Amino acid sequence: MRQMAAGEVGGLETLYDRYHAMAYALALRITTETGLAEDVVQDSFLGVWRNAARYAEAKGSVRGWLLAIVRHRAIDAVRRQRNGVALGDESEEVLPAALTLPDIWPEVAGRLDAQQIRRALTYLPPAQREAIELAYFDGLTQREIADRTGAPLGTVKSRMRLGLGALREQIADPMPEPHSRKGLA
Amino acid sequence: MAMSCDRISELAPGFVLGALDADDMIEVQDHLSRCRQPHSEIVEMGGVVPYLAEALEPIEPPAWLRESVLSAARSDIDARRRAEEPVSLPVAARATITSLHEEPAPLVLLSAARRSRRRRAMGWASRVAAAAAIVVLGGYAVVLQGDLQKAKNAQSEDASLYYMWAQPDTLKAVLVASDGSGASGMAALRPTGHILVRLHGLAQTKGAEVYAVWINSGGTTPAKAGTLTVDDTGSGYLDVNNVPTTASLWVFVCREPNAGVTAPTGPIIVSGTISL
Repeated sequence: MRQMAAGEVGGLETLYDRYHAMAYALALRITTETGLAEDVVQDSFLGVWRNAARYAEAKGSVRGWLLAIVRHRAIDAVRRQRNGVALGDESEEVLPAALTLPDIWPEVAGRLDAQQIRRALTYLPPAQREAIELAYFDGLTQREIADRTGAPLGTVKSRMRLGLGALREQIADPMPEPHSRKGLA
Repeated sequence: MAMSCDRISELAPGFVLGALDADDMIEVQDHLSRCRQPHSEIVEMGGVVPYLAEALEPIEPPAWLRESVLSAARSDIDARRRAEEPVSLPVAARATITSLHEEPAPLVLLSAARRSRRRRAMGWASRVAAAAAIVVLGGYAVVLQGDLQKAKNAQSEDASLYYMWAQPDTLKAVLVASDGSGASGMAALRPTGHILVRLHGLAQTKGAEVYAVWINSGGTTPAKAGTLTVDDTGSGYLDVNNVPTTASLWVFVCREPNAGVTAPTGPIIVSGTISL
């Protein structure tokens, strides 16, 4: 990030080489269209590049920051497309505060692999996981999730809270084996 | 503070996932920006969110995307440098003015001692001659540097256009002259509304004149995609977003009296129909 803040493309190359597949997977999961996902990834990396100096003042991991930008940009692209509005150049855009919260477990993340994190997600009861995924990957509000799933709004809120809490516990203290999931729901 | 801290805790899960209604999102942000409480629940739940992407298997994007990202970043650097660099003429002019005084040394990086020795060795006339030579060489170097920079910029712009052109869902148009002027160009439009236009063979503009790129998507009034200026080789380049995208678009370029025009007024220089 320091390299990028100093205007060195090498820093962006490193960032791209490290996270492009994750960024593209997230963009594609949200947009479901390769062309749109490619645009989102390009705009997101350029957003990081152009705002690298701002990152120096922020907390959290570069990975978390980049993925928050990808997610925000992808959801925005889908909404714009749905409403017939063209995608704008928002690579200079500052993210909403809720999307740039600090990554609180960088030390934990260092000893977790993607497989363990995926396993933690599978431990969630389906309804909790669905509520979180509809919000995270589809950009739906709690009210929209309630409409889509037919669950009362209060239930959706409760599922989100319980799901995030359980996920937090799992990430902080991952269970080694899939069969030992008692007490998580 | 309209919202209580208890209410913030209640809204925390929706907030960190960006899943609150817009009004609530704003109120929570407003509260957090002013509240002295640490609101650890926001930080703790928010810390989970970046890991949700880990549920996905990484997917390799097309290989060209890497070069496209880096090429755009390099264009940023070029643009930044162009904005920071002094124009060539003032540099040469400044050097010329300096040469009229007895201090030609700042034009060359010599140490004070060497400068002092040279001063003693060189007569006034030879110093002026040397300074004049430096001015000429310096000016030439600045011109060469400027040309090189322009060439790099053009190369970077062309690369961006070709990358976009090569993508399967890009809408494309070859722009041909409507008036036999020999001007030509290419336009590439992404489904997202991002358009690149490269034009060649344009006549130089005068005063506030610009070339404007217009898009007609079937409506009564064409929309202005943007304006561009012409370099000394007769080339121009446009890179903008928010262009309407429909199945059939007619793109045309007019020479306009100024950048503020809201409807085409000048003659059509080149035009083409955008299609897959």
